[in-house]
Amino acid sequence: MNELTERDVSTMAAAIGLPVAVDDLTEVTHRLNALFEALTPLADLPLDTVEPNPVLPDLDGGLAPRT
Amino acid sequence: MTPTPDDLAFASVTHVVRLVRDRQLSPVELLRIYLDRIERHDGALRAYITVLGDAALEAARRAEAAVMDGGPLGPLHGVPYAVKDQFATTGVRTTLGSRLLEHHVPSETATVVSRMQAAGGILLGKLNLTEFALGGTQQFPFGQPRNPWNLEHDPGGSSSGSGIAVAAGLCAASLGEDTGGSVRSPAAFCGVIGLRPTWSLVSRHGCFPLSWSMDTAGPVARTVEDTALLLGVIAGHDPADPTTSRRPVPDYRAGLDEGVRGLRIGVVRELTYGAETDVEVRSAVMTAAQRLEKLGARVDEVSLPLVTLAGAVFMALADSDGAGLHQHWLRTRPLDYDQGTRRRLLTAALIPAATYHQASRARALLRAQMHEALARHDVLVCPTAHQAAPPIAAGRAPITSRAQVAGRFFTRRSYVTPAALAGTPALAMPCGFTDAGLPISLQLIGRRFDERTVLRTARAYEADTDWSRRRPPLSPGVADVDSPRRPA
Repeated sequence: MNELTERDVSTMAAAIGLPVAVDDLTEVTHRLNALFEALTPLADLPLDTVEPNPVLPDLDGGLAPRT
Repeated sequence: MTPTPDDLAFASVTHVVRLVRDRQLSPVELLRIYLDRIERHDGALRAYITVLGDAALEAARRAEAAVMDGGPLGPLHGVPYAVKDQFATTGVRTTLGSRLLEHHVPSETATVVSRMQAAGGILLGKLNLTEFALGGTQQFPFGQPRNPWNLEHDPGGSSSGSGIAVAAGLCAASLGEDTGGSVRSPAAFCGVIGLRPTWSLVSRHGCFPLSWSMDTAGPVARTVEDTALLLGVIAGHDPADPTTSRRPVPDYRAGLDEGVRGLRIGVVRELTYGAETDVEVRSAVMTAAQRLEKLGARVDEVSLPLVTLAGAVFMALADSDGAGLHQHWLRTRPLDYDQGTRRRLLTAALIPAATYHQASRARALLRAQMHEALARHDVLVCPTAHQAAPPIAAGRAPITSRAQVAGRFFTRRSYVTPAALAGTPALAMPCGFTDAGLPISLQLIGRRFDERTVLRTARAYEADTDWSRRRPPLSPGVADVDSPRRPA
């Protein structure tokens, strides 16, 4: 993803009805760009066939007697 | 020899329970010892947001009467404990460490608190935390929590008070909540034991959420046996939390002393030997692994290449969940948040759905990598944190670059978030001290629902070392000059 400017961030925030105050804008922009940069290596992972399940079901626990 | 009040304040829960049952210690006397210590030390430490003096004394008197009556006593009978102010308590304000909920008084009690009370525990108070359990709070509305080993240093978060109170002998044990390290980090920085249980083993009912698929309540204690005891009390299915497992709860204290002979232990290469890991931390963890080997475990290295991405993946997921949860207040009361919290949530609110989706897939891949490693090893070990507790001032420095964000937020989270993302249990315990006198922490990660092996390994290490028996050098009567007074 291209590096976001403060203006980009301000526009994105306004578009979702969540205006970012001027005092917060520089840090929010740094935080967002840092996150995107840190996640860049994900593009090289074989993720297309991975199911994004947040948790695994506890199959053994599901079979246990109710207490 | 008669134990001193300080000896009793730092005694294990199991020892205290025995004394109470044998009528050698009155629950009222024990409670007064903790109230006195809170009075002397908490002005500086700020572990507590609310101290339940009168209500706790009344409960202690009832506990004493029950002992004298000779009736059945619960496993925590007469034990003063405290909980992170993230757990709802009927009639007692539950602030989440935020001005937004400064006067919030719930009408229900979190299941874990109900279970502690049903076991005979006496709720002593509600503990300080980073705002909404997020981390990165700049100004704590209920006072700056401080590390008992050095007041200028960070006690860890988000369950800051849960770590401080146990380390400083301001309660017998505590409960925290761990979404991405929030029990283990304060345990690590404060030199005590903190357990993140398997996700779904412990009810989340009445615990204010951050990220539903990772939020987990867990105990903080001074001994492994106490940790096992508390886990047994709070674990198990809860109809109020349909995600909780229906597995029967084992006796986590059974087999604690079986040792580690024959166990296969993997040292996580990337987190132990990586460049980000402080030299003193690396040395202490390697020494701990060697001790486990001498005790009979088979120790080797294991590589988990994806763990270095875990911190960023976690923040993409958990922070997005948090932003969704907070969007109403972010729109209507943004200035009531601490600046650090507000900026973190605003950032998260702008994370695109595609990024969230990719992070979710990366999480599943990381989880598979961890489960594969845990199929070949009984326990994985690594540092809980890449460094000992940093100065509080370091976390308050303004963020002026991307690199600063990565260093402050992603790196350290990569040590504690792999277990959170994978849903596995993980325990933090002391394994040394830096030259500056700050605790260093070893992390033990186990298979899902195999807390017993994690606890057994921790117990073997604890019995072979004396790190867990050290007490912080507290100076009584030091007032907190930086923070506003705790509201009445």
